[in-house]
Amino acid sequence: MNGNDHSVIRAVLAGDKEAYSLLVRAHGQTVFRVAFRIVGNEADAEEIVQETFLRAYQGLAGFERRSEFGTWIYRIAVNCALNRVCQTGVDAEYRCGEESDPEQRIVQVASSTADPERSVLSREIGAAHAQAMQRLTATERTAFILRHMEDRSTGEIAELLGIAPNAAKQAVFRAVHKLRRELAPLRGNA
Amino acid sequence: MTHLSEEELIALYYGESANDGDARRHLNLCRECWTQFGELEQVLGGIRPPAASQRGAEFFERVWQGLRPALTPYDCSERRGWRIWMRWKTVGLVTACALLLALVFMGGRIWERQKSNAARVTASPNRQASQRLVVVVLTDHLDRTERLLVTLDHAKAGDSVENSVLQTQAQELLASNRLYRMSANEAGDPALAAALERLERVLAEVANEPTLSAADLDRVRKEMNTEAILFEIRVLLSKTPNGMSGAERGKGVSI
Repeated sequence: MNGNDHSVIRAVLAGDKEAYSLLVRAHGQTVFRVAFRIVGNEADAEEIVQETFLRAYQGLAGFERRSEFGTWIYRIAVNCALNRVCQTGVDAEYRCGEESDPEQRIVQVASSTADPERSVLSREIGAAHAQAMQRLTATERTAFILRHMEDRSTGEIAELLGIAPNAAKQAVFRAVHKLRRELAPLRGNA
Repeated sequence: MTHLSEEELIALYYGESANDGDARRHLNLCRECWTQFGELEQVLGGIRPPAASQRGAEFFERVWQGLRPALTPYDCSERRGWRIWMRWKTVGLVTACALLLALVFMGGRIWERQKSNAARVTASPNRQASQRLVVVVLTDHLDRTERLLVTLDHAKAGDSVENSVLQTQAQELLASNRLYRMSANEAGDPALAAALERLERVLAEVANEPTLSAADLDRVRKEMNTEAILFEIRVLLSKTPNGMSGAERGKGVSI
């Protein structure tokens, strides 16, 4: 795929703009996923996909051939999403997982087929999570999402956000600390 | 026992702990930290990524159709122009580096020259002083040689005491004369070197004669033409710098 990406980029830079559609199709899903996780709603995520690929096209001439196009576009997507969150104050909608991973001792929350009481409880927990996430700053939230949901290392988060590794680590710690504090009352319910 | 901090617990949860093994061993031993870690797992485990419906090929086709009108095709000539510009930029950079190196080299040379001039200016008084000292010492040597030759011209054959003093003086002067001759040769003064060489032969003859008889003295005077050498020495003495008085000449020291 990497070699493919580079040959497609060469074609685009040679004047074949139609070739760019191959890159959109190949990396669109990843861009959409990370954008959606950061902004929390599909409409904004779709706009971010559009914006990301437009910005990438405009900067394609300056793209370093040595790096991966996938990594490069992922970084653009994260920045676009972060900008969107900062500009519009998007309230990301986070929901609690319906089933937890038994290895990670995740709290068991109501499934869709459960009784009405558990369903209400599940919605309450989901709302509390969303509210807790909204209390985080844009950087804390993005760093947390990249760490917690995208499984990125501290070094990668630092690179993606253009901050020092220690700052990235602290952003994740602050986010987790705030979430623990905000969600402490829920522990009794779980 | 030191408990694990919240940061350490978080790092452990995400598998980024610097000392993962120690932290896990501590967790197994410490009930408090174990509880804290359990709570952390409970909170973080409950936070799941927001679920979004998967986007299919038609979505990305729509994205592409939306993007397409906004994209201007890259111009090959523009790119070629960019490449040419980059090439010229490289050439310019290399030229600038070469010029800088040349400037540094030239600057270094000028600086070295100025430094050596300054050193020469600083050193010249010393040089003048040393030349002056050499003149004084050589003048003293020529004075002493002149006296010896005058004594030799008036020496009597029977006065053995006076003759032995003459030989001793000749031996002393012979050694120093050799040094002066070599120095004159090195300094590129052939006239002085030749005069000193002739003088050296006379001094050697007098110094190395076992018994300085009347016949020997007469032979030396005639063969070596001591009168001519004496004249030559007087000429050399008269060429000493004007600023140097006779008294000063007298104060010279021999090496």
